Amino acid sequence: METKISFTLNGKKVSLSTDPLRRLLDVLREDFGCTGVKEGCSEGECGACSVMFNGRMVTPCLIPAGAADKQEIMTIEGVRETELGARIVQAFADGGAVQCGYCIPGMVIAAYNLLQDNPDPTDDEIRLGISGNICRCTGYDLIVESIKLAARRGK
Amino acid sequence: MEEVKCYMPETLEEALEIKSRVNAIVLAGGSDLMVSNKRTIGLTPVFDRPVMIVRNLPELKKIYINDKGECCIGSGCTSAEIAASKLCPWHLRQAANRMGAIGLRNSATIGGNIANASPKGDTPGPLYLLDARVKLQSIHGTREVPVADFIVKFKTIDLHEDEMITEVIVPYSEKDFDYVFWHKVGTRKANAISKITVSMALKFNADDTVKDFRLSATATGSKTNRSRDVENIIIGKKISTELIEEVVQAYDKVISPRAMPEFRREATRRMIRRFFGECARHAEGKVIETYDGYRMPGAIEL
Ligand SMILES: Cc1cc2nc3c(=O)[nH]c(=O)nc-3n(C[C@H](O)[C@H](O)[C@H](O)COP(=O)(O)OP(=O)(O)OC[C@H]3O[C@@H](n4cnc5c(N)ncnc54)[C@H](O)[C@@H]3O)c2cc1C
Repeated sequence: METKISFTLNGKKVSLSTDPLRRLLDVLREDFGCTGVKEGCSEGECGACSVMFNGRMVTPCLIPAGAADKQEIMTIEGVRETELGARIVQAFADGGAVQCGYCIPGMVIAAYNLLQDNPDPTDDEIRLGISGNICRCTGYDLIVESIKLAARRGK
Repeated sequence: MEEVKCYMPETLEEALEIKSRVNAIVLAGGSDLMVSNKRTIGLTPVFDRPVMIVRNLPELKKIYINDKGECCIGSGCTSAEIAASKLCPWHLRQAANRMGAIGLRNSATIGGNIANASPKGDTPGPLYLLDARVKLQSIHGTREVPVADFIVKFKTIDLHEDEMITEVIVPYSEKDFDYVFWHKVGTRKANAISKITVSMALKFNADDTVKDFRLSATATGSKTNRSRDVENIIIGKKISTELIEEVVQAYDKVISPRAMPEFRREATRRMIRRFFGECARHAEGKVIETYDGYRMPGAIEL
């Protein structure tokens, strides 16, 4: 049953006609080309698909597209254009945070979600901040270091 | 696969009107429903009945203290919102703060957690402990039911087809007690479904007898376990080693864990003994930690 759904995506008003029960994850990737939104576990455990929903990190694999109607969504494609997002992306590159890269868009979103509220987090706070994002390559230390670097560069 | 109708009401009134006509599945955060109905990568979940999305209804998002001093929480409040609200009781904030991980906590609602009626769900433990009620609303009116009765048994709730949970009302908080305890045993700190979670609270009389004591445990049977009979063993009396053991043994008969029963029973016994021990020696501070100096990073302060 197609229904019109309108929302703000990365600062722009968008709308589409679709089944509101499609996963927001699929709508973002397939209808809007936001392929930085990665599908990992498909059940909210891994954080790879994380996006900002009304300014808060969520996993759109668990959200039907209809729930985004009239709301604000920001994917990695939008976050990387912000000052904070760009700073995190650069720090990840400089700090060697990336190996295979699959978890990284979600990790950047998690770092963004953390640093927007807490610009100077402790190690524990950083680890809590990315605790819903699974990385199979790095062992996390370089990601934590890179988030610290991003925080330092924001001072 | 046939698509079902999906309703997207913008007000509670509209939602209740839809519910009066259609037995639609209420979808709030979606964190249980989207998983239980999922198919595979890239495919839309399949539902066997129409669905009504209520995630953004503003009427379900309020947290306030009513004129009786009870904390009222809209059913659509997320774990993150509850954890962040100083109006919410401490036990509930702790539980909300340890559900899933950050992204999940921004979706999972308290209404969904109660309606899901999983014995491993995190909010029922504190809600049983603090005598919480759910407010159930339909176009025909409103009724209030204690959470402990609303959750009938494993995955079964006392909800009529035309009703929604609109509010959760919590009459007690940590302010009513001298000592509080909450501990969730999970295999990880984040995204851990409870292996066992114990909530406790105790208040003394001026003469050092116990005025009130409460104890609930989740993941120890087909629903959350609390027994006023067990609590009454020590209420009105002074804490003693014998009475503690009486409570421990009586509570052991209340719980009925199936998987890893001996681990769950022993963990429960130890937590109860530790809590009473710390209360009896009038430990400093209101929060009793699980063991000396153990504090979960990010735990909610009083
Ligand atoms: C990765 C992951 C980790 C998780 N970790 C935890 C955890 O640590 N602890 C825990 O307790 N749970 C956990 N869960 C389970 C789930 O997140 C919670 O049960 C959550 O609170 C469900 O809320 P929701 O709003 O997402 O529910 P939904 O999926 O929207 O709904 C769940 C059920 O509640 C009903 N419902 C929802 N709102 C209402 C309402 N207002 N009135 C009537 N019925 C309603 C729905 O019809 C459905 O039957 C986890 C889930 C995932 C995917």
